[in-house]
Amino acid sequence: MSASARLLSTILVLFLSAPAARAELEDPALGTHVETLDNGLTILALREPTTPVVSFQVWVKAGSRDESRYTGIAHLFEHMMFKGSTNLGPEEHAHYVEERGGRINAFTSKDVTVYFEDVTPDALPLIIDLEAERFGNLVVTEEMLASEREVVLEERRMRTEDRPQGRAFEALLATTFLAHPYRWPVIGWRSDIEQVTVEACQEFFDAYYAPNNLVVAVAGNFELEPTLERIRASFGAMAPASSIPRNPTLEPEQKGERRSVVHFDARAPILAAAWPAPPTGHPDGPALDVASQILSGGRSSRLYRRLIYDEQVALSASSAWWELKDLGILYAFSTVRPGVSVDRVEALFFEEIARMGSEPATPAEIEKAQRRLEASLVRGLSTVHALASRLGRDWVNLGRIRPLDEILAEIQAVTAADVQRVMAEYMKPEKRTVVHVISPPPPSMPEPEATPEPPPEPAAATEGSES
Amino acid sequence: MIRAAVAFATLTLLFGCASDPSPAPVAEAPRESSTEAAAPLPAASAHRSWLDPSPPIETGPIVDPERLHISTLANGLRVMVLEDHRLPQAGLGLALRRGAANEAPAQAGLAVFLADLMERGAGERDALALAEAVEGLGASYGVSAGWDSIQVDVGGLSRDLDAMFAVLVDLIRRPRLEAFEAAKVKSETLAGLERAKDQPPTLAAWSFARVVYGEHRFGLPMSGTPETVALLDADQARAFHESLFVPGNAILYAAGDVDAADFVRRVEVAFADWAAAPVPEPGAAPPTPTPAARRIVVVDRPDLGQAQIVIGHEGVGRADPERVPAGLMNSTLGGGGFSSRLMTVIREREGLAYGVHSGFRLRRGAGPFVVSTATRVSETRRAIDLLLAELEGIRENPPTGAELAHAQTYSAGRFALGLETSGAMLGSLVDLDIHGLPLDGLDTYRARVAAVTTATAAEQARKRIHPGRAAIVVVGPAETLAPALEGLGPVEIVQP
Repeated sequence: MSASARLLSTILVLFLSAPAARAELEDPALGTHVETLDNGLTILALREPTTPVVSFQVWVKAGSRDESRYTGIAHLFEHMMFKGSTNLGPEEHAHYVEERGGRINAFTSKDVTVYFEDVTPDALPLIIDLEAERFGNLVVTEEMLASEREVVLEERRMRTEDRPQGRAFEALLATTFLAHPYRWPVIGWRSDIEQVTVEACQEFFDAYYAPNNLVVAVAGNFELEPTLERIRASFGAMAPASSIPRNPTLEPEQKGERRSVVHFDARAPILAAAWPAPPTGHPDGPALDVASQILSGGRSSRLYRRLIYDEQVALSASSAWWELKDLGILYAFSTVRPGVSVDRVEALFFEEIARMGSEPATPAEIEKAQRRLEASLVRGLSTVHALASRLGRDWVNLGRIRPLDEILAEIQAVTAADVQRVMAEYMKPEKRTVVHVISPPPPSMPEPEATPEPPPEPAAATEGSES
Repeated sequence: MIRAAVAFATLTLLFGCASDPSPAPVAEAPRESSTEAAAPLPAASAHRSWLDPSPPIETGPIVDPERLHISTLANGLRVMVLEDHRLPQAGLGLALRRGAANEAPAQAGLAVFLADLMERGAGERDALALAEAVEGLGASYGVSAGWDSIQVDVGGLSRDLDAMFAVLVDLIRRPRLEAFEAAKVKSETLAGLERAKDQPPTLAAWSFARVVYGEHRFGLPMSGTPETVALLDADQARAFHESLFVPGNAILYAAGDVDAADFVRRVEVAFADWAAAPVPEPGAAPPTPTPAARRIVVVDRPDLGQAQIVIGHEGVGRADPERVPAGLMNSTLGGGGFSSRLMTVIREREGLAYGVHSGFRLRRGAGPFVVSTATRVSETRRAIDLLLAELEGIRENPPTGAELAHAQTYSAGRFALGLETSGAMLGSLVDLDIHGLPLDGLDTYRARVAAVTTATAAEQARKRIHPGRAAIVVVGPAETLAPALEGLGPVEIVQP
């Protein structure tokens, strides 16, 4: 054997005993089948045969921003979708899904309402039939509305009225948006939930639950043709709406800082703030995501180090770009340590935000943020539910599915100068809205003695309204 | 896109509590069906496929043996690897078979304290250097404590396996546990305990644990109380670490884009010199039955519009051979899903609550059986009466054949869905090992579910559910609540 042949065989042996080749990152969504039926319904179908699960989702292009007269009707209506149809009694839909071992739920947001089932492959035909049944034949009755109204009011107490964070968010959006429908809470104002009528529900259904306002996303282990055929057969008979109404109101430009104080029995005060920002799909998005990572992504982020670790004034601190369809917001949120002044946390928080706009981030910070976003994208491929959600979200927001390569390339292209520019441009002090949730001051406080304990912080200077 | 996790729950609203991975039930209560004639659209499907019977439960093995590696080093360290090369990511970690249940009550919070402190520096790196090193890769790390385990985790993209493994080894074997970091952790923990009082479910859980378990370790929050946390320091953390972090008490694991043989070699190199040492005995078993008689506690929060309600008593141990039939019985009662009896009555029929749930908190030493819900203050008594009636009802009218069949197909299906990712599947295998259960438990689970009969479910209902002596805890305005609870038993009012 020649020396080179020996060398070759050594290499081969080494190769064979070396670890299995690392997985390559491939975007399964590239293979998505896209189809639009004659009635306008869009089907997005992505086969991923290596998993034992399939996720079926119906995305309705209607959320709380589409409400008129009654706030909260989009969400209350979502609840009514579980309360029976021509061929199904109340709760039977969920019952049959759970009987097959499936996971079923739905959610409502500002822009969309999404119904989903995650099931084993054998149950998919049944799921398609069940969804088509309620989308085609929903029945809303006074009786069902009456009981579900109470359920939603309990949900409102649980998420918003009895929770400092919920109070903060409600006040934040109501103050940030003066005019745009994003100003009211998705769950709706209490008085509206109390008064929604069956007729209003029916009108909402007729206006928005039309096939040309729906996107069906299915991802996971299924046979393509029979599945498509079943969706066409069951959803294809629905009649399209001639037009989908949208609220016309745009948000006027903000001219100066706004503040709102909410009094609530909270041992840990809440600081929340928001700035108007671009809508979803905007080219500044990747830079805003990188900026949010530098500010609050992990224990090496600026806000964690400053507020939680070094100064020990807060228990949590975060910031993010909230992508919405009409216009987004950048928001900041912090749970203040009990006994610490929310004003002090606010000063430190805003100092860190100002620094982002006044000096460039370090190359290490940029790279770390990019890697964290990349790892997060890979994690998002782990479940078929997340895959189907990505298809639905992209289609609703952009009318196409963004390839992973494109998203990664945009993230990789972000520079320190980009981050500095978007922070300076969007997070200006005169563009911000600030909310404090603090305990009310005691009714009458005795005059402080010679060396008093620091009294509870008085409410911060307040203009703006309590929500 | 990643989003800093903030109150996002408030941005989108789910129809129901979506977080429960456990079994659920049937709705057989006759319902007032809709009286209003719907404008009949064409039937979406002429064939009402939902009326077809469920297929029989798939009982075959669920773990692919080709992907799984399990071995034990000479020093007793267990190694588990589940290969999955579909995505370039990996999760590595170590789990102990002991946790907070091993603390003396006077040291309550030590396991959580140790876990938090371990995150703050290991090997050559202090807290911030460690965070920079791991997060700089886009990876993440954490140490978490539970009643029965402490876990160290590092996860990220598989291209960074070398660096992630090195950090894992440092976290396990060379945590710095420095005094000044201990002071920071303590201060943060105390602030966190105070902040937790802003969450009514937390207040209810704390009070409930105290009522049911008294002086036993389970009677105090896992993260301790201000009194016990105030006494913790780095020396105690170090001693606890030395006693628990021994190879015979640990499982080192990896899931994802990792080659099993290569990983085992790495483990052998890094842990072969980890000296064997005795494994501490499990903590004292909790009292049972408990409470001996009905006790009612109102935690006074005058500002709340909604009363948080918890009802319960002793439950089932994680390794109890009857846990599967007990779980299926509970599935019918209120174990999850929208069609349990409790959901049907409390949410669907009465509109009293957004969610209601019952469950056995499975721990090595039996954790509690807990029923929880929240309703407007004015309806608290009615909700409690209905809950107690359903608890009595499951004893007198145990799950029917149809209810049990529903619970079985639901449990078997949800079980399979819960193992979709390799990380989840390996986590379940590790959990079996933590509790000394057979490692084929995932492969046999669905057959064990299918084997439960209405007779065994009925026996579980009578044996495990005791509304007559259940503890009742309510968080809300005591001024209104205390009079409303009259007649249920002695009422004690406490401050948060």
